[in-house]
Parts: sequence; structure tokens; C-alpha cells
Amino acid sequence: MKKLIDLTDRSSDQWVQMGSTEKPTLIREKKISSDVVVVGGGMAGICAAVSAARNGIKVVLVQDRAVLGGNASSEIRVIVHGVTKLKSGLPERETGILEEILLLNRFCNEQHSFTVWDHVLYDFVTRESNITLMMNTQAVRSNTKDSKIESVLCWQLSTETLITLLAEQFIDCSGDGLMGATSGALYRTGREGKAEFNEKYAPDEPDGWQMGATILLSSKDMGKPMPFKAPPFTIKFDAEKTHPDRRIIPFVEGFWWVEIGSKGDIIGDAEIDRHRLMGYAYGVWDYVKNSGDFPEADNFALDWVGSLPGRRESRRFIGDYILSEPDQLSFKDFEDAVAFGGWPLDEHNPGGIENLSQPPSFWHEHFDKIYQIPFRSLYSKNISNLLFAGRNISQTHVSLSSSRVMGTCATMGQAVGTAAALCVKKEITPRELTQNHITELQEQLLRDDAFIPQRPANDTQNIANTADKIYASSTLSGDVKLLLDGVSRDENGEIHHWKSEGLDSELTFEWNDPIMLSSIEIKCDTNVKKNIMMLKNTRENEAYTTIIPPELLKSLSLELLVDGEWKNYETKDDNQRRLIKFNFDTIKISGFRIKMYETYGSENVKLFEVRCYK
Amino acid sequence: MINSLKITLSLLLPLWFLISFQTKSMAVKNINHKIVLKHPGEDIPVEVTLVEVQDSDGLPIAYFTDVESVICLEQVCKIVSVRIYWNNIGVYQKYELENGATLEKYEDDLFDPEDYKKLHTILANIDSPYKEVYLDEILTVVDEHTEDIDAVSGATALELDEKDTVPGAALTCFTLWHWVNGDIVSIIKNKTGESVSNKQLQQFLVDENETYFYIAIAELQKRKNYSKEFIDTIIKRGLKDDFLLRTAFNYLKGASVENYLYAAETLFFKGSREQKLTTTRSLINTDYKVSKGYLNNFSTQFSKLDYQEVSLLLELMQDKNPNSKVVIENVLPLLSGDFIIARRAYWFLNNETLTTKQEREIKCFYKKHKDKL
Repeated sequence: MKKLIDLTDRSSDQWVQMGSTEKPTLIREKKISSDVVVVGGGMAGICAAVSAARNGIKVVLVQDRAVLGGNASSEIRVIVHGVTKLKSGLPERETGILEEILLLNRFCNEQHSFTVWDHVLYDFVTRESNITLMMNTQAVRSNTKDSKIESVLCWQLSTETLITLLAEQFIDCSGDGLMGATSGALYRTGREGKAEFNEKYAPDEPDGWQMGATILLSSKDMGKPMPFKAPPFTIKFDAEKTHPDRRIIPFVEGFWWVEIGSKGDIIGDAEIDRHRLMGYAYGVWDYVKNSGDFPEADNFALDWVGSLPGRRESRRFIGDYILSEPDQLSFKDFEDAVAFGGWPLDEHNPGGIENLSQPPSFWHEHFDKIYQIPFRSLYSKNISNLLFAGRNISQTHVSLSSSRVMGTCATMGQAVGTAAALCVKKEITPRELTQNHITELQEQLLRDDAFIPQRPANDTQNIANTADKIYASSTLSGDVKLLLDGVSRDENGEIHHWKSEGLDSELTFEWNDPIMLSSIEIKCDTNVKKNIMMLKNTRENEAYTTIIPPELLKSLSLELLVDGEWKNYETKDDNQRRLIKFNFDTIKISGFRIKMYETYGSENVKLFEVRCYK
Repeated sequence: MINSLKITLSLLLPLWFLISFQTKSMAVKNINHKIVLKHPGEDIPVEVTLVEVQDSDGLPIAYFTDVESVICLEQVCKIVSVRIYWNNIGVYQKYELENGATLEKYEDDLFDPEDYKKLHTILANIDSPYKEVYLDEILTVVDEHTEDIDAVSGATALELDEKDTVPGAALTCFTLWHWVNGDIVSIIKNKTGESVSNKQLQQFLVDENETYFYIAIAELQKRKNYSKEFIDTIIKRGLKDDFLLRTAFNYLKGASVENYLYAAETLFFKGSREQKLTTTRSLINTDYKVSKGYLNNFSTQFSKLDYQEVSLLLELMQDKNPNSKVVIENVLPLLSGDFIIARRAYWFLNNETLTTKQEREIKCFYKKHKDKL
């Protein structure tokens, strides 16, 4: 392995341990083998690692910071947007692993604390026994042979350790994509010209502009006048010259438009840009406090100011397909669709706050429904075992302006994690998975509560639809038969649910011929048409709920019909998930009955899917 | 809050086109009710006078109240008194302004005739976005973006589709919508229930609009009136409208045991599938003691029922009428029918005390189907 600097050379290290004559040998090198390495512990990386681990393979998750969450972490504090606002004003939540995380956060972090959120994510990852989590560790170089990554060299800051990770599949969810880049994977940066992909919002000619990074801040009301003196590195905010879209009110949660873009090496300039961004952030706050235009800010003081800019764009790898603006705007139907998005085409201006005359975002278009993301955009064209998820996927700059938001990145993460697991099990490449097993990937994702628009599940292993009798104790809306139609939400105005009239309620499946069964899986309602991500300032409204979704099923039990008698198998009194699983030793039954007792507030219970497996 | 710095304007122009108030000529009596209401634009509950308009028979035919619409921005607030009308089940009908009064938008723009119509439409929409809008969202937007107050994008700024608001008058829409569609609706329903006679309640029970049925049931429960006359009417309605069965049984379970059982039997035998299932569930859950003879009679229907009905009725028999010879005799023929019903019948019979002949029958069934049991 080529090493420009031998980081393992400790020959000059003069460690003296007081109270001992020993001079310990400092071994600072490790080699770890696993099935999959995921680099990047943001929302995409977490979902990739967890989905791969749950699909039965060993995963190492590498995160270069002390906390998980990436842009969503307490270090940066960007909202986990996804399809949070369609033209209707309502969201179309992602479900899947992200849904589990957001619900867990609701249960553990009602106070919406960012530092608690960090540890909700930590809890979520570390409870997976198949994941080895490496914090404070950066993947700095790939070792590639015959267009295949064999290992990745990592530096763990906190332990001064050089770690070599060996695996079958590598997933780059790091945003900047250093691991992928050093493997030789093709990528591009900047803006495509209009002609290349027929993008109406692209510039006429290609250029290097990348959307900028932002430093956020927040403030709080101290109940008394709070003077503010700007630090020397402050850069004055020229309010006279700014485009009116740079709104100061509400000022409490900071300004997403305090952003610096780049038309060159946005990574290489990061530290210079960070310093300037801090200057701009304080400059805007100075304007709020000292311009005299905002007397309502008199009692406010800074409560938190970011030091780590949240980056929107840098490398975009090249896959077998490059997702582009026309695909999104035309809602292109992909055979290999595995993820989805729907955030507006929110392209920020070239230069950010240094381009004051233009609006901070062009908000080119909002979507009236969600678009698909193909699997071919999620693996490398030229490195055979490299997958990616997040803002670094194979797409154009304009496409990125919508798909970069973290909820959408999470759907990609779940897709690549699941795909990597299948690749390991089948000993194939992601490309071969696309060519020969894409249905299997999609079905697994749908089973795991991911959602793929316009792609109903049709899992041949699921035997729920072989039941001879399916009936409910009551029906207020929908139909029990819709629990088998493979669509796990009401979609585009069509109903795909069954809803009880009141509680308690029962749902019964029975067979003429007894069956062998070992698993029953239910998808219940959490109202995907309301946002539940963590916000700095929450309020109940048509598109957001501040509480645990009242629709969520809280208490239920499963009864199995064995020898003519209904036997209680298990009661769950404290369910916290949309996807509810009952797993048991294989048993011969003639039917099963789901008894539902309580939701977190709704009078009725709504289900979208019931599956069962031998 | 919105009541700060009120300045009453002289109200000059009568602009509102009146929707004809058809019941006006029939009204003979107005009754004033002092009520206290919470309004999301007010810090503390507000007392208002709700006027109940009754006809010559004492039937409430409408309600109205006068509220203040406050147009309050920065240092200037204006108050316009608005009279809101509802029908007798709390459905908003119209609003009227004081003679000569007019509504205004931000920055002294007057409402034009289309704005008045639109406001009426907004108030009539019980699912208006104003249901979940916050006062400070409106104030923030108005404060900062005077030129575009209802179409601002941003993290917490108010965004409303133009069809859902009168641009420039979000605060008026918000204030009035909550007066019109707030707690007062349920208060009106209660008042109507309290005011009507038993004879009028009978009419409510058969009214096509089910809201009257719900008001009547709630009122009858309050009056503890479970007379046969009402029960017969409720049974008739329950036979006609499945979706009212739960409410009906909620009432019936408070009746005397005789009347409850009479209603249950009638609904089961005269009703279709939903009536049968709802009745059977009610009988499973009732605390009343139910005689064997009564339940035996239900078992005569097994051959006419589908699987879910059979299964539930057998559950009732297992629970409240075990080892009934009549039931067993009525269940035995099911062994030779549709298999899944037969299997359910078999497992029921397997737990019953049977005659030797009956034992033979179920053993025979077992031998024949043991792989499918």
C-alpha cells in the first residue's frame, strides 16, 4: 500500500509512563474485516448501515465526527427535510428506517434537543449487533485493484490509529466522497450546461459553481435587554443591497442563506470559507441587534452558533445513470426505482451571500407529487463494488438541488444498504444486481417499509393473500382487502387502507387448509401527510405535528388459531413503530387475529398492510 | 394580543349582501344564553351572548351572536362588530355587519364585494387551513411582508393558497373562522337538544341529516328517556342506516333489560349483516343477564349466516349459552356445509356436551378432515 506518510511509524514516540519504568509499545494500527463498509454517519449512512445490518451482514460504519447525523447533527443543525412540502403544502413522509428514527426521536426527545437527537441516533445505530461503529474516524484512501476497492485506510483521530477496513462492498455516504474519489471512481462537480440533459434550469454553458455551505445560529429571549458587540472577524451585512428573499424575520433560528458557494475547489477552500461564514453569520446578527430596525430582538441573545458549515454540494459520482431535472419534473418511471424525493428544485444562487442581488434560492419549481430515484444512480460506473447515497450520487447539479435534502438521502441510504447486503449474499456487483435481481431488491425495501412511488409490492413469499377469509370487526373507511394491495400508504388520492370504527378492533385472517407460519408484519398509520422531523421551533399545524402521531397503533396483540382455539401469542403494549413485527417459531395455524386496543390518540386504527411469512 | 390598542372606527358603508334568512318570519322568541368561549386569538376565555331563535313550537331554528372582528396591525387596531348566524345544529349560515360597517384589509384597503363572498366561503369551510394557523404566524407575516402577506415562503411564515384566504385580511379570516367553527358549535347542538320537546326529538331521530340523530340520542341519554316509542324509532333508523348502529347501541344499553333485548332481537332478525354483527357483539359485551331461551332463538339463524356472522354468534353461544341442546342441534348441520364454517362449528361442538350420536357425528367429521383442522 502506498503511504506518503507512514502514520504507523512510532519510532520517535517517547511515551513515558509515570510510576512505571516501562515504555509501552504503542501499537496504533488495526485491520478489520467485514462484509460492508459504510463511510459517513449522516442520515444516508445511518440508514445504509442499519439496513445492511438488518439484512444479515456485518457492517462497519465510519463517521469522521464525534456525533452521528451529519448535517442534521447538533454540530450543524439542519432540518431533516425530505418530501416535507409538496405543492399541496403537505408532506409525503419517507417511512422505512428514517421513519423509525423520527418516531424514536419523538419518544425520546420530546424537548427537541439537538444534542439529545445526536444520542437518539447513536442509540439507534449501536443497538444493531451487526454494526461496528467507528467514531472520529475518517476514510482517507481507498486501495483499489482491478476497479474494485479491496480496502480503505482510515485515521481515527481520538486514538491516533490507522485502521484498514476490508470488505466486499463499500458505500460512500460521506457527502464529499473522499473514499470514492481515491478509489478512482469517476465524479464531477459544478453545473452542467443546459444542453447536456435538456435542463431548463441549468445555465447555458457548464461552469464550476457549487451551492454553498451554511453556518446556522440560534438565539433566545433572555427577558431583558441584551446588548451585542460583534467580534472583530464579523463581516458587515449590507441589508440595503440584499435581495428581499433574505428575510430576517423570524430571526430566532438563524439564517439558512448565510452561505458561501464556490466555482472551484469547495473542499480545498473549506477552512477559509468557514472563517468567512462565521463573519457573515455574526454580521447578520449584528444587523439584527444593532441596526435599530428590529426592536423585537432587543431581549434576544445568541444561544448557539455553528462552527462547522453544513455543505450542500461538492463531488457527484458518476453511476450507470445520471439523474437529471427532466426525470424529476416528468416523474419518470424507472424499472430500477428504489428511492424517492419531492423537495422543490431549490437551487441556491451562485455565490450565496456574496451574491446579494440575487435571491438566496431560485425555488425553480415545487412538485405536486413525488419522483423516483433509480438504483443505477447509486453505484459507480467504473468501480465495481462502490455504492453511494446522499448528495454525492450520480445526478446533475439541478437534480441535486431537490434530492440533496436528508430525508431523501435517507431513502437512498436504505436502498444501498439493502442492495449491498444482497450483493454480499449473492457474491455479485451492484450492476449485476440491477440486471438480474432488481425486483428482489425492491421487494425487500418495500417489505422493510421503504416506499417506492407507483411500485406496489408483490412479494411472492408473502402468503397473506392466500387467506380464505379476511374480515374486520368494523370498517369505517377503506377495506380489509386493501391491506393486500401492496401499497403501504394512500397514494395520489387513492385509498389503500382499512380503518376501524372505534377501538377495540379485530382483524382476522383464516385459511381453509392450515398453514405453517413464523412471521406476521403490519404497517400501521403514522399519518405520512404530516411532518414529524425535529424542528428548532415547533408548532402544530396542517403539515406538522409536535406530538407522537396520534394515529400510531400503541397497543395490540396477536392471537393464533391453533386446534380451533384462539391463543394469545404476544401483546405489545408500547409499540413505537409503523412497521410492527411478530416473529415466532414456525407453527401450524388455521388463522391469526390482530386485536387492536389503543392508538396514541386517534379514535380509530388505520392499517395499510398485513403480511405473513412461512 | 388582538384586543390591544382597539380603536373603534365609524362604520359608514353597508356593503354586505344579505343571504335571505328564511326562518326569520317564523321566529317568535329569542332566548339569550351567556356563554364563555375560548378563542385562539384571545388570552382568556370570552363571554358572549348566544341568541337562540325559536319558532312558535319552541323549536330552535337558528342561533346568532355578535363578535368583534379585529383588524389589528402594529399600533393600529380596528374593531368591527360582526353578527354570525348558525342553523339549529351549529352549521354556519351567514354573517352580517352592523349597519354601515365595512371590513377592511391591511393598509386601509376596503373589502370589495368578491372579498365578502370569499369570506363567507372561508367561514363555511370547516376544514379551512385557518383551523391550524397560529395568530403569531399571521402577525409575523403582516408585520414583515406587507406587499405579500399571505403568500410568503419560509420556515414559519404563513402560506395559504389564495382560494383559502382573503389576501390582506388573514387576521379577519382567522378571527371570524374560529368564532364560527369553534366550541360554539357543540354548545349550539347541546342547546338545541335541551330546548326541544320529546315530540321534536322523535323528528330528530328520523331526520335525514344524521347530526339530528346524534343530538337526539345525546339528549335522550341525558333525560334518561328509554321509552318504547323512542326505542322503536331508533330500531327503525338502525335497520335503515348501518353507520348509526354504534350510537344506537350506545343508547340502547342504557335501556331496561327487556327493552334492550327486544331491540337486539329485532335488529338481529330484521336486519342485514351489519345489524347482525353489531347486535351479536353487543350481546357478547352486555352485562345484562340473557336467558338461554332468548339466545337459543338466535341459533335458528345459523344456516342463513356467513362465516363471520357464524363465528361471532358461536363465540356468543360459547360465552353465554354453553351446552344448549337447541344450539347444538342448530349447529350440527353446519358440519356438512362450507368447510371453513364447518370447521368453526366442529371446534365449537368439540367443547360442548354432546349426545353419543352427536359425538359420532363430530368424530366422523374429524376423521374426514383431520389434516385441515
